[in-house]
Amino acid sequence: MTVLLPPPPPPPPPPVPADARIVVERVSKWFGDLVAVSDVSFTVGPGVTALLGPNGAGKSTMLRLLCGLTPPSQGTVAVFGGNPRDDLSLTRRIGLVPQQETLFENLSALGFVRLAAVLHGLDDPEGAARSALAVVELDPDEPRPIAGFSKGMRQRAKVAQALVHDPDVVVLDEPLTGLDPRQRLHLITLFEQLGAAGKTVLVSSHVLDEVERFGRRVLVMAQGRLAAEGDFHAIRDLMDDRPHRVRIRSDRARELATGLLERGVVVGVRLGDGDDVIVDAVDAARLRREVPVVAAELGARLYEVAPLDDDLESVFRYLVGG
Amino acid sequence: MAALAPTRLPIYRLLLRSQVSRARVLALLAIGIVGIVVGFAIGAGDRIDELRAGARFINTFGLSLLVPVTALVFSAAALGDPSEDGTLVYLWLRPVRRSRIVIAAAASSFTVAWPLVVIPLAVAAWATGGGSALVTATVVASTLALVAYTGIFCALGLRVKRSLVWGLLYIFIWEGFVATANDTAGRLAVRTYSRSVLTEIADVTLRFSAISSPYRWIVPPLVAVVALAYATRRLRRQDVA
Repeated sequence: MTVLLPPPPPPPPPPVPADARIVVERVSKWFGDLVAVSDVSFTVGPGVTALLGPNGAGKSTMLRLLCGLTPPSQGTVAVFGGNPRDDLSLTRRIGLVPQQETLFENLSALGFVRLAAVLHGLDDPEGAARSALAVVELDPDEPRPIAGFSKGMRQRAKVAQALVHDPDVVVLDEPLTGLDPRQRLHLITLFEQLGAAGKTVLVSSHVLDEVERFGRRVLVMAQGRLAAEGDFHAIRDLMDDRPHRVRIRSDRARELATGLLERGVVVGVRLGDGDDVIVDAVDAARLRREVPVVAAELGARLYEVAPLDDDLESVFRYLVGG
Repeated sequence: MAALAPTRLPIYRLLLRSQVSRARVLALLAIGIVGIVVGFAIGAGDRIDELRAGARFINTFGLSLLVPVTALVFSAAALGDPSEDGTLVYLWLRPVRRSRIVIAAAASSFTVAWPLVVIPLAVAAWATGGGSALVTATVVASTLALVAYTGIFCALGLRVKRSLVWGLLYIFIWEGFVATANDTAGRLAVRTYSRSVLTEIADVTLRFSAISSPYRWIVPPLVAVVALAYATRRLRRQDVA
């Protein structure tokens, strides 16, 4: 007789750290047939955490879920133990910099940020708005309406309205877009200061090098899933272990590829149509060193050595095993 | 305005500013001026019953066209525009009750629509020669209709994209065609109630105006309340960009 045993219970979720302010448990979000976020769990505590992923990875949807702007299709999101979708009082503790650029175009920057301060019920909305604008280096007395602002000024106005009520959790969706290098540095420093002051700062970005400067802790999303979580450098090392695909153009491309293969520098070779070959190398640094050496030995002229998969999308494809 | 909660007033001001664009105001003002011109033309005609002629004009032009279209243009945009361009997030993510946002939106669109509707129609009613009773009836009936349409189109602006198209379909297909099939169907159109108010105050008889008192007075504001309650619920539950 066959005895059917009940399926084993799902493994218990990992314990929630005591200082966790954001707790995401098995959250999925779909829009019709499109799965934007799939079974994602993580916690975020004080300090700066970067949410990294290529465009379309589900970062913005995840940030919207955290702020209650859209409900999860499955799973739970808790901020300070409450549901940000239903608990209106939580809006006092959350500041959001959304991705979309459109603001209240008729208002000045001061009017825009002051409106946020008024709606948050601050005692001195004018003073708070001026302080928040000063923090992002925008002139509170700038008379122009936002309609006349550059992209960078708009970004900074958005950051100011998110900080005006001194929230405990600051969620920023691609906040550095459109900023010049100096402004980027200023905002990155600001995020670090907020994190050091005990705020929870969650910053999304699709630019790998940008994220490195935000802080050590990262959440990596790809194709709606949480692909990696933890220390940035550990994940970066993991990324560097993947095979690198490189196109080499030379007047003696085939001989060059053979030479690299014989030395064990590359693990795969694909011949191109003309003067190019595409090689797969495990150790990208070694490949960079060896290509000119082998080319010199063969008397070959190098026209191009171009990585084909250094973009973030390929990194994330690797992380999710796609 | 003193009764408005401190958070409602700035939202009201904000939405009022965002709705008042020169193009919208000029276009609707032009329609109102056309109404006044036609009113004078009717008044200058050689008619026996000027009151009835004026009432018919106010019903056809004012209650069936100017009032609903003006309400649609402003009310649908009040929350529809912020919802579509993503700026709603800057109101939504504040500790402000959703009902306050909706009421502020409705109040702002009513504020801007009322003078564009009621003043030209009152002048047109006077110009027809229908007398002070017709002017009073026009002011009251168009205000009452505007209240109902403001609620309906505020909710519509949140509920659907391209709310202008859906609103025009409602005005011209439903209210202008389906609801004129018989008296029972007519009870499902706002204009039937406002027409009934017009005929009661002006003491004239028009087709499809058989809604008895007090329903002709109660239903339009009730429609607005129900629509705004729906809009509040919708705002609470909808996805915000």
